Amino acid sequence: MPREVRDSLYWIQECGADRSNFVEETSDPNPVWYNEDEELHIGQCAYLFTDDQTLLFDTLSPASSDRIIAVLDELLAGDDLDYLAVSHPDVPHAGNTARILREYPEATLVAPKYGTGHELYHLDDAMHVGEGDTIDLGTNTVAFHEATFLDAALHMWMTETTTNTLFPVDWFGYPHTNSECGLFADEFDHAITPDRLMHFHGRVLFWYQYVDVEKVNAEIDQLIESYDPDLLAPAHGNVVRENVSDHMRLMKQVVQDINQDGRVGALG
Amino acid sequence: MTVRLSHDTIWINESHSVGAHSEHVSVYLIDLGGEYILIDSGSFHHRDSIKTAIDRETDGEGIDALILSHSDYPHSGNVDEFRNEWDDVELVASSGSPAVQGLPTDARKCSIGGELEVLGRKFSFIDPPLADRSHTTWIYDHESGILFAADGMGSTHTAADRNKTAAELEGGISYDHIYEFHHDTLVWLRYVDPSKLRGAIEDILEEYHPTYIAPIHGHPIPANALDEYMEKLIKAADQIATEYEVPGQT
Repeated sequence: MPREVRDSLYWIQECGADRSNFVEETSDPNPVWYNEDEELHIGQCAYLFTDDQTLLFDTLSPASSDRIIAVLDELLAGDDLDYLAVSHPDVPHAGNTARILREYPEATLVAPKYGTGHELYHLDDAMHVGEGDTIDLGTNTVAFHEATFLDAALHMWMTETTTNTLFPVDWFGYPHTNSECGLFADEFDHAITPDRLMHFHGRVLFWYQYVDVEKVNAEIDQLIESYDPDLLAPAHGNVVRENVSDHMRLMKQVVQDINQDGRVGALG
Repeated sequence: MTVRLSHDTIWINESHSVGAHSEHVSVYLIDLGGEYILIDSGSFHHRDSIKTAIDRETDGEGIDALILSHSDYPHSGNVDEFRNEWDDVELVASSGSPAVQGLPTDARKCSIGGELEVLGRKFSFIDPPLADRSHTTWIYDHESGILFAADGMGSTHTAADRNKTAAELEGGISYDHIYEFHHDTLVWLRYVDPSKLRGAIEDILEEYHPTYIAPIHGHPIPANALDEYMEKLIKAADQIATEYEVPGQT
């Protein structure tokens, strides 16, 4: 079920396959936050604003094609979708773009202006946005940003100014158990820890193993300072509503660990 | 355009514009003497010309297996179409979640760090130091010694040089083209420690001793041009990292 994060902002989570093996293959197969009787997921998230103007950020993966349409139908309740913004054209994030646009043909497709080869991703005719660009939805205003930590160049993050929400994509991802599906991080029985974050970043941001750690961690400090978000709405983790800056600071240990120990596997 | 790199490997190169230059979006065809393996499927944008080249090089037989470096539209944009065009095409992919990646569920999984035989040919699937997706793999053909590199070891090019291997370029692949590709494509290099990157790539080269590096996004690099390319690549990585300063840290 989608959850309302704030008035007119909904979080739509796709849980994906069981990733219990991620924990079971590590040197600590019984972390306090993991229950071996449950499945473990690293999912995809999309976010929907149902304001005067409506905007969907990311589409979930093709595995949830029917579901995203059903959720949009429910939440929009007959209204149009005005904007579909894709953070990057990676299939788990943008794989339902064509179908959503068929269902909502009036929607404007919004894509990052960064990188090259937009035509290779069917994004050449999209509204290209980046740092400094905003869309006024009514009560909410979304702003687009060059991603701080990213895999491919054609990539962007988003913020919302009324709720002071940061939407990091492919950063601050982490697994959740069955019983944590759809919960906010503050509703977990156990706090998010660096080892939990490692299961995502040690696979996706594998390049942390080749970096200057001090430089990356200075960037994390800068990220916290420049955005200072009240809400963190990641693409691959549950929404964080409390102590956001402290949560973001956990990533400095994760960078150090990946740099020292190498990547832990692949995801995708 | 097609270029034969060895007696059994054909470079089918396509390009798209990148500012004043171009960037390859290539695939490679391996001829097993009656059966054919395609490395990556290319972008939908180049579908017709890739298909025409495959038809020509296989005398209309088409491919029997398709090995993907990763699931990303410029690499996997023609999977369904090519499997519909030619019968019984086996798909090999590194993705552990084909449904999430929009891939057919009958894909045979290759594990990064592992080996597989495809139509009797042995391939290794290498964890690449330069990549833009978590499940990207570099593919090493043990028969030809060719290392197919996705999303790294690349370069931009001029239109006139599109069909040339590194050995055919006067002065080799230019530093500026190597820099341009990596700066614009692998943005995370702004944080890189060049010595760590060099070490990771050199470990792979020392283990596999490739006869060619065959990039999806660049000129094929024969073994005798690799040292020169590596020097330029690491210099480019160093420049990318040096040029970027974290805001507020100066």
